[in-house]
Amino acid sequence: MPALSLSPRDRLLKILGSFALALSLVALALMVVFLVKETGLLDGTFPGWSIFSLRTPWLPLATPPSFGFGHALVATLIVTGFSLALAVPLGIGIGIFAAELAPPWMGKVLQPALELLAGIPGVVYGFFGYVTFVRWFGDWFNLATGETLMTAGLVLACMILPFIASTSAEALKVVYRDYREAVLGLGVTQGCLFRRVVLKKAFPGLAAAVALGLARALGETLAVLMLAGKTAAMPGGLLSRGQPLTALLATELGETAAGSPKYRTLFSAACLLLLAVAGLNALILLLKRRLLEQLHD
Amino acid sequence: MTSFLDRLFRGSVWLCGLVGLALPVWIVGFILAHGARALSWNLLVGRPSGFPLGSEGGILPAILGSLALVVLGLAVALPIGLGAGLYLAEFCTSPNVRAWSRAAVEVLAGVPSVLYGLFGYAFFVVFLRMGISLLAGGLVLGLVMLPFILISAQEAFTAVGAQYREATLSLGVDRAAWILGVLLPKARSRILAGLVLAVGHAMGSAAPVLFTASVFYSKGGLAFGQPVMTLPTHLYFLVSEGISLEHAFATALILVAGLFLFNSAAMLLRYYMREL
Repeated sequence: MPALSLSPRDRLLKILGSFALALSLVALALMVVFLVKETGLLDGTFPGWSIFSLRTPWLPLATPPSFGFGHALVATLIVTGFSLALAVPLGIGIGIFAAELAPPWMGKVLQPALELLAGIPGVVYGFFGYVTFVRWFGDWFNLATGETLMTAGLVLACMILPFIASTSAEALKVVYRDYREAVLGLGVTQGCLFRRVVLKKAFPGLAAAVALGLARALGETLAVLMLAGKTAAMPGGLLSRGQPLTALLATELGETAAGSPKYRTLFSAACLLLLAVAGLNALILLLKRRLLEQLHD
Repeated sequence: MTSFLDRLFRGSVWLCGLVGLALPVWIVGFILAHGARALSWNLLVGRPSGFPLGSEGGILPAILGSLALVVLGLAVALPIGLGAGLYLAEFCTSPNVRAWSRAAVEVLAGVPSVLYGLFGYAFFVVFLRMGISLLAGGLVLGLVMLPFILISAQEAFTAVGAQYREATLSLGVDRAAWILGVLLPKARSRILAGLVLAVGHAMGSAAPVLFTASVFYSKGGLAFGQPVMTLPTHLYFLVSEGISLEHAFATALILVAGLFLFNSAAMLLRYYMREL
């Protein structure tokens, strides 16, 4: 940018702009600092590392009370694991479909359809799951209630599907564009083209799609809150009820005295979530950069 | 053998594609069909009533509360996001500042909204003693929208071609004239697209306002210091307290249809202002 001289009102705009940027960064930093501060790690009121242990139960009303959110960690692992197991193959399949096999008109319909899916609020997904899967699963599996980790995972899979599908379609489109003619010209099949060439070249993009799906699944609150069935017991499997991390936060925060050990425990859980998601987001940025570099080689 | 594997590959990809097309149709259709049956004029303009509360009457306070929260959030996030995006695209001369600010904002744009809610509770509600209020919730929603607006503003400004910049500045006008006269009008359609995403996301998410702004029932008055009802939290309360599935269907429909109408209106607006 050439160093043109700035007029007084230019300087005003520049100062206002830099002020706005500083304010944005300070606000975002303040959020991180405050979430960490509320764990009590900085002023010695941290309730102790045993809250992360799977063996410490969640018994807020016992004497003495015990705050361990191991059950929530396990529930989160089960729910996100199940939703990824469903949404990753399906999402990448949709990505391949959109990038290569779909007739043009279907490709054109698919994108707004996925955007529609991505635009539905989590609470509406939760409600949708409540009046469909919760009812059905209760009958099918002979449960007292259809609210299970599997129900939550299934709906979560629908929610992260559009993100996985459109991110992988984006990566696959570029790779197919560069290699389609050259490889198909050798007389190999579509399946072979995908397995031998596209999968390797688009790998960073597909990994970014999975990481994005995982980050969304870890942080989704309302749907899992409404569908997983609130219980502080350690979940035994897919069909048991459970309380994922975000559901624990949403359920308990409203009735927790600020500064109490329970409050500190909830914010410790939140920081763990923040760390996981921020790490995943950083990974996504790196993977996308890798994909771009690889394509420019 | 190869042709069988190839057919299997094509078949499964087609199956995935069809599921991708059918899923949105099913979910949206389900909500439309059931919601339309439960919808009435009284629901749109009335207040919650009946016993248990919310099983009769309307959801007007929730509609107004959601709108007020988003407008308040926008009033904070739009000028700041635009200004910061403008600074990064137009005035910032250090590549390091640009890259690191951008990375920080992008990482935080992906942070789950429940964490914004927790921060809002700890900072605005408890630390700044705003209480559970419209003000606290609006500020939290502003924070939720800020990264989206900032990123889309910066990208919109950067996307305006360098030839316009050179042509304008070579006329001897100052930067402000270039920014106000050419850059903003050229970029506004893209900025609007980002804005729509941010507002849609903020309007639909319950987690940030659940413990910062919302209550199950308010008489409908809007004041900065008072809590409000919102559409997403109202839907959540209706379902989790088992109050009325019929009203829940109607609330879900209004929320989804509202977001859809808002998106369509913005798309139309974009179409009309796509060029200077």
